[in-house]
Amino acid sequence: MIKLSDVSKVYVIDGEYTFYALKKVSLSIKEKEFISIMGPSGSGKSTLMHIVGLLDKPTSGKVYVGDREISKISDDQLSRLRNEFVGFVFQQFNLINKLTVLENIMLPAIYARRQLLFDPRERALSILQDFGLEEKRNSYPNKLSGGQQQRVAIARALMMKPKLILADEPTGNLDSKTGHDIMMLLEKLNKEEKITVVLVTHESDIAAFAKRIIKIRDGEIV
Amino acid sequence: MKNIIFIFKSAIDDFSRNKLRTFLTSLGILIGVFAVVVLIAMGLGLKKYISDQFESMGKNTLFLVPGRVLSGGGFSGSVSAITGRFDNRDLETLKKIDNVKSVGPLTLKSTKIKGLLKEDFADILFSSEVLADVMGFEVENGRFFDKSDVTKRAKVIVIGSKIATDYYGSAEEAIGKKITIDDVKFTIIGVTKSKGGGGMGGFDYDNYLYGPYTTGYIFNPDKKFFRLVVKTENESYVSQVREDIKKEFLKRYKDEEFSVVEPTELLSAITSIFSVLNLILVAIAAISLVVGGIGIMNIMYVTVSDRIREIGIRRAIGARRSDVLYQFLAEAVLLSSIGGALGLGLAYLAVFLVQNLFPAYIDLTSVLLALGISSAIGITFGVFPARKAANLEPVEAIRYE
Repeated sequence: MIKLSDVSKVYVIDGEYTFYALKKVSLSIKEKEFISIMGPSGSGKSTLMHIVGLLDKPTSGKVYVGDREISKISDDQLSRLRNEFVGFVFQQFNLINKLTVLENIMLPAIYARRQLLFDPRERALSILQDFGLEEKRNSYPNKLSGGQQQRVAIARALMMKPKLILADEPTGNLDSKTGHDIMMLLEKLNKEEKITVVLVTHESDIAAFAKRIIKIRDGEIV
Repeated sequence: MKNIIFIFKSAIDDFSRNKLRTFLTSLGILIGVFAVVVLIAMGLGLKKYISDQFESMGKNTLFLVPGRVLSGGGFSGSVSAITGRFDNRDLETLKKIDNVKSVGPLTLKSTKIKGLLKEDFADILFSSEVLADVMGFEVENGRFFDKSDVTKRAKVIVIGSKIATDYYGSAEEAIGKKITIDDVKFTIIGVTKSKGGGGMGGFDYDNYLYGPYTTGYIFNPDKKFFRLVVKTENESYVSQVREDIKKEFLKRYKDEEFSVVEPTELLSAITSIFSVLNLILVAIAAISLVVGGIGIMNIMYVTVSDRIREIGIRRAIGARRSDVLYQFLAEAVLLSSIGGALGLGLAYLAVFLVQNLFPAYIDLTSVLLALGISSAIGITFGVFPARKAANLEPVEAIRYE
């Protein structure tokens, strides 16, 4: 589904010092997989996830989505892929605090480029119901607990029925019980909805939810 | 379409959360639009007022004025307004010119008059029966003086409607009463219908008295007139009669000693002067619109910096660069349009309040201009901050603390 071949990401700092966030990483993610990318902080795992999620572009190497090579497609098409194909879940939740829970979940539908086959509002409400957050639909995110906010973020990621969910340290800001609940939810989505999940974490017990664990250190897969 | 609605809705939501900031930001545009619209309204009103004053004279009217008026499109030289120059011989000369329907001399007397209720200074205009026609007077009560009053040197007088109310209480009361002008008693035979106007140096016809010029000789022993009015048979003779008058008068006067003036000519000279003045004022006021636009640009840059993270989130869930661009552009346009609409509302209020003192009015063009200019300012000054927002790299924006 997504293939990285010899992907490097290089940052040039102050015009002289070069820093390799990723060094010739090759990786293939298949449909319905549940993968953990594990590594200490600064290992390049977030950079890797941003490239897989089409938020960032590699300095060298190629990224394929299906059989399309992303350096050959336009910024608008990348936006469309992020909108329809990928759902993001972040450590800091990244909800928009001035929008209500329901508006946050419906936000991806605003940027939809095609006629949707579902009613965004109905879909958002049904996800909220599944997550047991229905009565919070008109609340603002900063009034919710961390676990609730992360579930809203997952609901937003599911809005456009993505093939792939990318979760960047989704439990990093949560206590272990809530974190465990979030992981159960991701696992359920992978098993029941057949959504591919790529998880980035530095905790081995969180990584253990995945069927495949990729370890990364100093920008290289080990 | 739903996207556009959503963009505007979220912009409005944002503004309602920051009411004070929104108001302060649009204040510059508000003041600018207010100033421009009010000044245009005043210019339009003034123009209309002046042309209304001239309109009533009719298009087949010519004035003879001592000295030089209107050379090269504007006023110049000395215009001896009140000093009499023309006499009965000139009047007779005019009467002999072809296609002249009627002529009337004008003398002005400012003196103390005494009525039933009041005694004060007023202006009396002495002329022939042509005056009513030339000035477009309608007599509401009684009648205007006629040819026989002029021939008989009758001591009759027609008074303006304000004079009637001030000195006698009402027009009906005034008719047939005596009025004392400089110790000479006159009988009031008519009251003119109110023409309005006045103020700002314009003639307030309602505050004048009108009498036969022959009777006026009492106060004017030299029998000199400061103006002569000529009515031609119809409009098409005006220029020909004008040339004939010039020819005849040059036999007696030097070129610079008299002018033949068409009211329309005077009108265009006056309005052109006012238009230039008005344009300068509007241009100065428009500077505040630019300043207001810079204010909006400034606050939009602040808004973009405040919301880098939000921009990153939107990009991550599928917003295109153009979606972000339009979102911020819409906010800038909305901000300046709010200012424009408030400024326009305030201008309407101001024009309404000064209505009785100043003939200002707002036309559709100024409304469209105000709203058009304010949205144009929003686009012009909003596009730079909006582009900054649109060009942020998603990954950097979302990591921004």
